[in-house]
Amino acid sequence: MRPRIMMAISVVAMAALCVAVLLPGPTTAVTEKRFITHSGAVISTTGEVLDPLYTVSTVEFDPDEYLRNFEYGRVSQEGGQTVREYTIIARDDQVQEISPGVFYNVWTYNGTVPGPTIRATEGDIVRIQFINQGSKQHTMHFHGIHPAEMDGVFEIVGPGGGQFTYEFEAGPVGVHPYHCHVMPLEEHIVHGLYGVFIVDPVGGRPAADEMVMVLNGFDTDFDGENNFYAANTVPFYYQHHPIRIQQGELVRVYAVNMVEFDPINNFHLHGNLYYYYPTGTDTVPSHYTDMVTLSQTERGILEFVYQYPGQYVFHAHKVEFSEKGWVGTFLVDGSS
Amino acid sequence: MTPRVVAAGLVPLVLVAGLVVFITGPGGITAGIDPLPEITIERVDFVESEVRVVVRNTGSIPVDIVQGDINDRIQPSAVEPDGHLERFETAILRIPYAWNEAEPYAIGVTVHDGTRFERVVEAAAPAVPADLEQAGLLALAGTYMGVIPVFIGLAWLPFIRRLSQKRISFFLALTAGLLLFIGVDSAEEALEVSAENLAGSMNGALLALVSAGCAFLALQYVSGRLVSTAGSGSAMGAALMVSVGIGLHNFGEGLALGAAISLGSAVFSTYLLAGFAMHNTTEGIAIASPLAGQGRVARRLAALGVIAGFPAVLGAWAGGFAYSPISSVVFLAVGSGAAFQVAVTVARWVARGPGGLASPYVCGGLAAGLVIMYVTSIVL
Repeated sequence: MRPRIMMAISVVAMAALCVAVLLPGPTTAVTEKRFITHSGAVISTTGEVLDPLYTVSTVEFDPDEYLRNFEYGRVSQEGGQTVREYTIIARDDQVQEISPGVFYNVWTYNGTVPGPTIRATEGDIVRIQFINQGSKQHTMHFHGIHPAEMDGVFEIVGPGGGQFTYEFEAGPVGVHPYHCHVMPLEEHIVHGLYGVFIVDPVGGRPAADEMVMVLNGFDTDFDGENNFYAANTVPFYYQHHPIRIQQGELVRVYAVNMVEFDPINNFHLHGNLYYYYPTGTDTVPSHYTDMVTLSQTERGILEFVYQYPGQYVFHAHKVEFSEKGWVGTFLVDGSS
Repeated sequence: MTPRVVAAGLVPLVLVAGLVVFITGPGGITAGIDPLPEITIERVDFVESEVRVVVRNTGSIPVDIVQGDINDRIQPSAVEPDGHLERFETAILRIPYAWNEAEPYAIGVTVHDGTRFERVVEAAAPAVPADLEQAGLLALAGTYMGVIPVFIGLAWLPFIRRLSQKRISFFLALTAGLLLFIGVDSAEEALEVSAENLAGSMNGALLALVSAGCAFLALQYVSGRLVSTAGSGSAMGAALMVSVGIGLHNFGEGLALGAAISLGSAVFSTYLLAGFAMHNTTEGIAIASPLAGQGRVARRLAALGVIAGFPAVLGAWAGGFAYSPISSVVFLAVGSGAAFQVAVTVARWVARGPGGLASPYVCGGLAAGLVIMYVTSIVL
């Protein structure tokens, strides 16, 4: 090869590269989709929209159904006492779409996170047939007053069909969590083995539109920090599907904080204040406020009435949590 | 080769292919867990009210991109053309966000199993548009950095020409020293880019080694042909080899410069430019030295200067408009392999002179080359 030829080749190669680098690539016409950002801008894309707000309707757990669902059990009378019997099955093999496109191994009581809301009146006998269909040991530990052997801590229930019957008198009045108490405890809780236990006073509380909100989070990449937060598991769900309530009607929210890793959570309501009953154990509210701070398993009852119709946000005022999903809205209907 | 020989050569290939099919099919051994998804955030651009993220699947299984976030706060976003990425496939994640200039941002991308990947940008700066004006700016920067300094360096030729044979061998050895330094410098840069930007599954260090090795061998072959066929033209051949090697190296430098300019780091790129320009003037000496004994070479010298310097402009365009860490590693490593090969060629040439490689002129020249490059690399 002669130097002259080499030089020519080099120069031509550089010229060709020049053209290749500067020419625009091929373009193809595709249909456009639109979505709205948190700040209200409308964006078009030729690709896929990734937005928990607008694509959430496909997830397996239905927060709307959970919100106002209370399980009173199979009711019978024994010696003048009301007995409420439940069957709770624990599993740890489910993979659930906890946010659109995000698949996470949830551990469940009766197939959902949170587990069913167990509701009884003070003094009722609560009898729970607990079956562990998981691959690990699990239990049910109720917050409340009960004999030591019903505490679900030392009475480990083995995997693959192990059984235990929890039986105790419901009390005290209030809203309490229940959760698995097998070590490592944090792992069993953050995977989803928790639920709400409501004890009504004899004679009940004043009539209200009642709902349960479990404030929870998911650490989907196991780095000891939650990737998602929510009221009732699915991030941003109630923002996209507002909770409909009536103007002038009393609303009662049983709120339980089950978030792990973060020391606190909180509950802020817009356009209104609520009467707050810590743990729901007293009939006199401790605060009239729009903000309570909740530590792990701290819980209470919120009561409020909306004076004006319209849409109102509620969310964690630890706004990191609300920007990761713990945000929703009430749609106050003023027509009736 | 007879068909029989070809067949004999193919038999083991067919057998090993069969073995692979068997292992991945019925004969497979399943142990441990399934491979985990892995992606690499290759590029982050800050455009008008939006952050654009280039994501590549660098794991061994397909992944779905399901969520984008900024500073660990979930944002509605879009992924184009779609979120399903096969191995090595890329997508652009568009996250609408009113970002603030010069603030740091952590860009997060979550995949289907809930794993979040993050890339931190130290200071947000507006991405420059890919238009003719920008192409002109990059070309100008590449010219300042590569073309002009090389030509300035070539102006040493009349000086070198008047020197004795021994002193010329000093300058040739100096050239080899410069090139050795360039080779190490490029290799270091390639390894740095690969460590910072490439996923483990890309084997970045080995990608650099393979690229450098292939570049070395390719130039080895070409220079062998040049020297054996050119005869009296072997001085010109050596000079040409030096220019090609330096050109490949300058392409890598251009990439770095273009990427810096396109990331909007104005102060940084001004310093980078001045540093490279000083550095590259010495490359002109490298090209001029082999031509010391030659006659009229002005026209060829100009061509050599273009071959050595102009790739800096190409590199600036590529780095500015189509930056990808993989191509950066490859080009930087190619530049490194080329520089080493040319250093070897020049060293061989010098070895034929009086005293061989052990003469004080040669040793002194090599040492001077290394020192000059080091000093010019740290001055700015």
